[in-house]
Amino acid sequence: MADTTANQLFDIWKKQLEEGTQAWTRLVIQAPPTAPPDPFSFWRPVLDEGLQAWAKLFAQSPVSPDLHGQWKQFLDQWIEAWSKVLGQAMGTEEFAKLMGQSLDQILVSQAPMKKVADQGIEQALQSLNLPSRSQLTAVAKQIVELEDRLERIEDTIGAVLRRLDKEPR
Amino acid sequence: MGQERFADVVERFTNAYGVVSGVAPEVLTQWQEELDKLQRRLTNLHRLVTNPPEPKVGQTPREEIYKKNKSRLYRYASSRRYKTPLLFVPNLGISRPYIFDLLPNGSFIEHMTREGFDFYLLDWGVFGPEDNDLTVEDCVTRILPRMARKVLESSGATELNVLGYCMGAPISACFVATHPDIPVKNYIDMAGPIDFSKVGLFGLWLKKDYFNVDRFVDTLGSVPADMVKAGFKLIKPTMDLSTSLNLWWNLWNDQYVEGFQALSKWANEYVAFPGEFFRQWVRDFYQENKLYRGELVMGGRPVRLQNITCPVFVVGAKEDYIAPPDCVRALLDAVASREKEYVELPGGHISLIAGRGAARHCWPKVSDWLASRS
Repeated sequence: MADTTANQLFDIWKKQLEEGTQAWTRLVIQAPPTAPPDPFSFWRPVLDEGLQAWAKLFAQSPVSPDLHGQWKQFLDQWIEAWSKVLGQAMGTEEFAKLMGQSLDQILVSQAPMKKVADQGIEQALQSLNLPSRSQLTAVAKQIVELEDRLERIEDTIGAVLRRLDKEPR
Repeated sequence: MGQERFADVVERFTNAYGVVSGVAPEVLTQWQEELDKLQRRLTNLHRLVTNPPEPKVGQTPREEIYKKNKSRLYRYASSRRYKTPLLFVPNLGISRPYIFDLLPNGSFIEHMTREGFDFYLLDWGVFGPEDNDLTVEDCVTRILPRMARKVLESSGATELNVLGYCMGAPISACFVATHPDIPVKNYIDMAGPIDFSKVGLFGLWLKKDYFNVDRFVDTLGSVPADMVKAGFKLIKPTMDLSTSLNLWWNLWNDQYVEGFQALSKWANEYVAFPGEFFRQWVRDFYQENKLYRGELVMGGRPVRLQNITCPVFVVGAKEDYIAPPDCVRALLDAVASREKEYVELPGGHISLIAGRGAARHCWPKVSDWLASRS
């Protein structure tokens, strides 16, 4: 009884997924005029693995209070499969190159905008007679440098005191 | 009141289910437990969404010994059974160090202090734009020696042990190798990369051919916390999904929820890198592997790992994708110590040192190794 229910549930789910996949395929094939890319090639292994895991779970045990546990196990496997696929994709020289290029483009386009924005803010604050971020940073830097100097003086005094302590009185 | 009503409903449902379908009593009990867990999940979910309590982290008593700019040196309360103090050097930037003292009855620092170690933590702090000129060299030649001397001064000891974790390990290894004037009795590297040619995904992404560190630092000034976060999320994109799924699964367990909240607070509190620090870190360590190749110069002195002669203990994590075991283990071949040991333990970069697995596998190993030498 429980087995039949589980199989029915699984069949419904599988049918929905297949129909959804077909609808997506139709959409994608309609869109580009030539050589349509196959976006499913990337996640098909993951989908297949997930389907197998789901089928295995249902085949192994009937619907029970542990259905929640089976669901968790299924999702864990699914996530693990995704993680593996993504890890492989991101561990390639191509991905690293693409990421580097994208970052470079962002930085190249961001640099002049940032410069203009910084100058604008600086001028606006100056006209309002308020300190700018760079001025505050400069003050903070001076404090850090002062602290460093104090530490060096402290070290020197400490060294002198230690030497004096060692000398016979 | 609400819970009693729900329990009554559950009981009525399971009784009726049993009568109708004639299922075994143990299955009924299992149903009842599942429904009870579900009810507790929903209660905790409601609490988490509507009124999440602020987790209390870092509760082991401690005293601030010294502060230098943003960095702080803390000494933790302990019975101080061992005369040699331990200076713990964690990573700079990325995250806050309270992960090592996350919750009572489950933190590395608490374990070490309970074991009787005189434990000092160097908290590098959260750096601002005024610190953008800070370099790795400054940390090795100015901050660490000062902190080590303060440890010796405050403990009254003549020697100290140094434990570096993650990025803190190569930084502290540079310090030990270049400062023979500071007597380091034992050195421990936990999940700290040494041979950066084997450092995994980050090594690939930060390759000189693909990543222009100069353009990055010159444009941004520093590495903002959001950028650090993006980098770490990218290295394991499914992590958040697994975390959410595990939370739902364990949401009925109050203790788990408390731990999750503390861990979640830590995991979402990223810390920026000072610009020049990041430049030197990426260029000299990741891109040119200068530390392992013996080409690094700091404070005018060459950094040679073979200058480390004290006993060395290296701990790698089997599933560490930030500092894979091979790049950590490399320290053993680089040092000149006669007494050196490597262990590879279960867990990832964080779970090596924090969490239940760490309490079972890692902490006792570290404290046992150190106890006989302190």
